Amino acid sequence: MEVLGIFSDKESAGIAVEHLIKEGFVERQITSLTSVAYPDGVLVRTEQRTWFRWFTLACGIAGAGAGFLLAAGTAWLYPVKTGDKPIIAFYPTGIVTYELTMLFALVGTIIGMFLEMGLPTLRKRVYDPLIAEGYIGISVSIHSGGEAVACGADVLPRECIGAVAALPPDEQASRAEEIMKAAGAVRTIAEDRI
Amino acid sequence: MSEPILPAAKSSSQLNDEMLSSLRTPTWSWYALALFLGAVVAWGLYAFGYMLTTDMSCTGLNRPVMWGVYIVNFVFWIGLSHSGTMVSAILRLSRANWRRPILRAAEAMTVFTVAVGGLFPLIHLGRNWVFFYLIPYPNQRGLWPNFRSALLWDATAIFTYIIGSSLFLYLGMLPDLAVARDRSSGWRFKLYSVLAMGWRGAAREWAIFHQASTLMAALIIPVAVSVHSIVAWDFAVTVIPGWHSTIFPPYFVIGAIHSGVAAVITLMIIIRRVFHLEDYLTPLHFDNMGKLLLVIALLWSYAYFVEVQTTWYAHEPIEWEVFSFMADKYAFLLLFMIFANSVLPIVALCFKRLRRSIAVMLVVSVLINVGMFIERFLIIVPSLSHKNMPFVWGTYRPTWVELSVTAGAFAGFALMYTLFAKCFPMVAVTDVRELEAQKSVVRLSRTRLQSSAEKE
Repeated sequence: MEVLGIFSDKESAGIAVEHLIKEGFVERQITSLTSVAYPDGVLVRTEQRTWFRWFTLACGIAGAGAGFLLAAGTAWLYPVKTGDKPIIAFYPTGIVTYELTMLFALVGTIIGMFLEMGLPTLRKRVYDPLIAEGYIGISVSIHSGGEAVACGADVLPRECIGAVAALPPDEQASRAEEIMKAAGAVRTIAEDRI
Repeated sequence: MSEPILPAAKSSSQLNDEMLSSLRTPTWSWYALALFLGAVVAWGLYAFGYMLTTDMSCTGLNRPVMWGVYIVNFVFWIGLSHSGTMVSAILRLSRANWRRPILRAAEAMTVFTVAVGGLFPLIHLGRNWVFFYLIPYPNQRGLWPNFRSALLWDATAIFTYIIGSSLFLYLGMLPDLAVARDRSSGWRFKLYSVLAMGWRGAAREWAIFHQASTLMAALIIPVAVSVHSIVAWDFAVTVIPGWHSTIFPPYFVIGAIHSGVAAVITLMIIIRRVFHLEDYLTPLHFDNMGKLLLVIALLWSYAYFVEVQTTWYAHEPIEWEVFSFMADKYAFLLLFMIFANSVLPIVALCFKRLRRSIAVMLVVSVLINVGMFIERFLIIVPSLSHKNMPFVWGTYRPTWVELSVTAGAFAGFALMYTLFAKCFPMVAVTDVRELEAQKSVVRLSRTRLQSSAEKE
């Protein structure tokens, strides 16, 4: 479940985020929805580390293998005998291997990027077209409710769900909406109401 | 204080309205242009059909000049394709803020020029209907493409480049497609919704997007260099006089960037005028692109001088014969090429006032591309006309068929670009707005300066 607040300026959106954190929500639950990128920390802090570049590397290695097999492997399978020329030539094999390495890496980058973003999604997610017009969305993911695990040095980030998680989900959502309205949200949208 | 890159004090909605103006309902003049371009494409297709139903004898190709205007077109269009993606990638990596309004025009140009260029080897085949013999797949014909042929390296490199450039264009458009989706209805809404893939602009999506953009830019540059190096090897790995030269790959790459940057400038001028983007494509952008073009013109001139000087000083008989033949039979073309590619840009672009003049930049950029087309012609035809064996020396003159197909190619490129401009944002909306959103005014002693928070 997600609650989205729409703000007309970045200052009030930033205040809403600060108040949400004070209330017991954690950074991991809060994200911004914007039509332009803001430097990390201006609105929210998000994980900057990504894994999709390893996927690019893996695709590049697969491409190198495919290129080598295409140029050298098939030359060996279907030999074209031309006077004084090697069946498997180093130079053409190198070129075809290089091109396919790059092709697979480029395609792998796009696929990996979408995989890591979790796009496309079949589920309709909370959103407001006003965001395209420069408004800022602050979205809060609501925990299913239960025992809160406070964030601390000995707690893994994925286990840290903040004090507010002890409340039932509806109450968490209402509290988030109240905070965002108080900070100046133009409107709020809760996921189960869309 | 530095010159502003963007118009001052406009709301996000105003910026969206202005930069997405190309998506508005087409006017009659747009339909008239599309119809005219379509008619020229149809004429080119008719000429191609005529060649199919007769044979290659309706072209000017002969023995010894087996490569004519079709291969000139191939090299020219692939060359043009270079700069779009490459300039965009370099500017992205260097985080030059003035790049933002230019990116889309450059990236789209690459995709359409490489698509047009890639058609010419197929048009040149002769027996075009068996083009699939070129594709490596197990078959009952007992044929397998010979990977030792430079032409197959070409096919592989161009395939990689067209896929890579299309993905690079699409990646840059992703956030803009979401903006267009949120402001559209009907078929446009459906189209942009599918292409935007559910993009919401979450902070994490932006972080991944920026990293992917940087990685794609870093990957596409070596591909671009390799493509034109491989096109150069089509010539350089032969033993034909005038072609068999180690400087060919870098010379081709520089020439490709020269024509590509000039074409980007020409398109910028057209887009600026047609879509009233004077506030976004300012004299500052033309000034900076002019400086880039000046550097490339100097590099191209140096490479050409080195190539000719080596031939002249060594005076190797057959090499000198080819050059003498070119300088004699194609003297006007040679002089025009040197003027358009070297003298004019170097002289004109040294002056800031001329770099900031839209009319001057239009003339310089168009003439560079005329010069570069001639340059491709002068590389191919004189060398084939006067090869090693004097008893098969000859000449070449293109016929109406080749000229019509060439006209069709130019119109086809223009038509694809025109249709693209009507369907997709021609200015990188979110890239431009990002700069506006990150701007802030800070006080420094007695004055107030504009600062911009940079990513990463």
